[in-house]
Amino acid sequence: MNRFVEQLAANDVAELGMPGSLLAGPTAAMAGPTGHGLSFELAAGNNPAEFAQHFIDAKSEKDSLIKIAHGTTTLAFKFREGVMVATDSRATSGNVIASQTVKKVIEINPYLLGTMAGGAADCSFWERVLGMECRLHELRNKKRISVAAASKLLANLVYRYKGMGLSMGTMVAGWDEKGPGLYYVDSDGQRLANDIFSVGSGSTFAYGVLDSHYRYDMDIEEARDVARRAIYHATHRDAYSGGVVRMYLVQRDGWVPYPLEDVGDLYYQYHPEVQLTNRTESPLTVVPA
Amino acid sequence: MLSSITQAPVEAHSHNRWEPYVDNGGTSLAIAGADFVIIAADTRQSDGYSINTRYDPKAFELSNKTVIATTGYAADAKRLVEVMEQKAQSYFHKHERVMSTPAMAQLLSNTLYYKRFFPYYVFPILAGLDSQGKGAVFTYDPVGNMERTVYVACGSASALVQPFLDNQVGFANQRAADPNRLLDRETARKIAIDAFTGATERDIYTGDWLEIFTIDQTGVHREKRELKRD
Amino acid sequence: MDAQFAISGRDFVISVTDKGVARSIVKMKHNEDKTWQLSSHTLMSVSGEAGDTANFSEYIQGNVRLYSMRNSQDLSPSELANFIRGELAAALRSRSPSQVNLLVAGYDKGKDEAALYWIDYLSAMAKVPFAAHGYCGYFLYSVMDREYTPEITLEEAKALIKKCFEVLKTRFIVDFANYTIKVVDRNGTHEIRQDEL
Repeated sequence: MNRFVEQLAANDVAELGMPGSLLAGPTAAMAGPTGHGLSFELAAGNNPAEFAQHFIDAKSEKDSLIKIAHGTTTLAFKFREGVMVATDSRATSGNVIASQTVKKVIEINPYLLGTMAGGAADCSFWERVLGMECRLHELRNKKRISVAAASKLLANLVYRYKGMGLSMGTMVAGWDEKGPGLYYVDSDGQRLANDIFSVGSGSTFAYGVLDSHYRYDMDIEEARDVARRAIYHATHRDAYSGGVVRMYLVQRDGWVPYPLEDVGDLYYQYHPEVQLTNRTESPLTVVPA
Repeated sequence: MLSSITQAPVEAHSHNRWEPYVDNGGTSLAIAGADFVIIAADTRQSDGYSINTRYDPKAFELSNKTVIATTGYAADAKRLVEVMEQKAQSYFHKHERVMSTPAMAQLLSNTLYYKRFFPYYVFPILAGLDSQGKGAVFTYDPVGNMERTVYVACGSASALVQPFLDNQVGFANQRAADPNRLLDRETARKIAIDAFTGATERDIYTGDWLEIFTIDQTGVHREKRELKRD
Repeated sequence: MDAQFAISGRDFVISVTDKGVARSIVKMKHNEDKTWQLSSHTLMSVSGEAGDTANFSEYIQGNVRLYSMRNSQDLSPSELANFIRGELAAALRSRSPSQVNLLVAGYDKGKDEAALYWIDYLSAMAKVPFAAHGYCGYFLYSVMDREYTPEITLEEAKALIKKCFEVLKTRFIVDFANYTIKVVDRNGTHEIRQDEL
């Protein structure tokens, strides 16, 4: 289980970033392609991995002392015009809404996006490292990195910490020489390519709407509508999701963000029979059909 | 003594877990304005129903343009502030320039994340002015997830204070109000004081003294006020 | 809950894997190929812990191909299976065991015969006429025991696999919608569609 611990022998501080050699055995081959010189402090004792997992609740599975912001609906799909990426914006810590304004789309560089589900810090930190790796790739090769390679870099990065309690469920979306690219990468080290993905506690609800209305042949407005409605319905049924719908479209020239849409406002758009009034005794009025 | 015994027996403390964390309570908040930012924290330090001290400051100047306030586990908070102070100092001496607040914000995020597997049990907020001179507030979780906001409350009374700020500073869900309106300095200060008076009334871990830091182009201005001590 | 099994005759092996990838209660993918081409005449199917499967397989595939390039010669199925087992056993005794279940299907050109090796995540290995991993084994081993003969032809084996699909469909709680079916024989490896069985 403790791949990470193996590399530090008896020390309290682990120095990482050894270049992997193909023939050097499975463990070394699992190491990332480049050295980062990242150094993480560990708890003293025989099993720092167990320590980290006991006190830190990244997955919200137990009632640990340190609660990490989590809970999410994120989705992305390829379609005729490119890749549509949409997320909610709620962060919860225990039963408290920690924020309604989270940016769950991470702008890795002008043509690569990552989404955030699971531990917020895990996603933003490792996708920031990925951004650095992508830039180094450009400087070394005078060429932009492919989406496949970028997502593989991220998968290798987090695979080295398997069993240490990282929590990350991300989609890497972008455009390269082969056209639109979309990959799912998680903290198990799993990496999948597909046309449609949704990740997070609200993903089942988003999949329901997405699968029943998605067509590859959609135009941009239709795609926006499907993405918006999928997130909206997920925020409606999943208490851990909410806030605003944040949407991005990735095309040949890179990504563009769309204006934020409050799911509270969307409710009245999708339910025209319900009108918001200023009357204090009955702020909601259902207009007879 | 048997010569074959070469190693001391290792005791297994399975019943007695190593518990290196405790929540010492305390509350902090920050409110950003157009050309200033206010960051405030109480000074009570508790352990369960006992008050350890009535004056253990939680907010510190990292430079003449950035202030950090840290609730949660007081020992980790103290260590974190020491580390950040050291980093701010060495940056200053290396570059002959005070680190900007956004840079300090990212540095704090990384500092927290490098202890991802043995975290500081802290809930820090960081306040200062951004490159355009606007007030900036940054909030964090214990492992360094960072978000820039206009206002925030952290710590033991955060669930009491945050809705108050949502209403008075963010004008959340008030259709007549402009949600993007920023407060003027005196209003923001009064709301900060009211928030702590209210938190002291209803949260057992908040009280004793209130320290308010106002940061603007001229630097950091500190004000110390009394809170109820019951 | 993967479907992973294989049947070998004298001069062929048919490998079957399902195409689903599930996380928690969600099917994330319906068209994943869980087999890895190690050489022209050797195929490895993989199931197990997410992340480990791809990582271990890529490591094996990379090293096997490197060997072929360096020596201008492919490893035989038995040599390959023993190499893979050795690497898995070494990983098992390290701090980072790979939890993967494998079936190595190959055609030995030197001996002019097919070979199938069953390897589990604890590095137990057996050369077998037919094999399955996971829950599928509980349903399929009896069927294969009943129907199998060493003289089984490719067509008979295809019919047997069809029977296996029927059993899984009627009795197993999981519905595997799609399967990757690959045949390894004298001519190398080729995929066949489910409706071609």
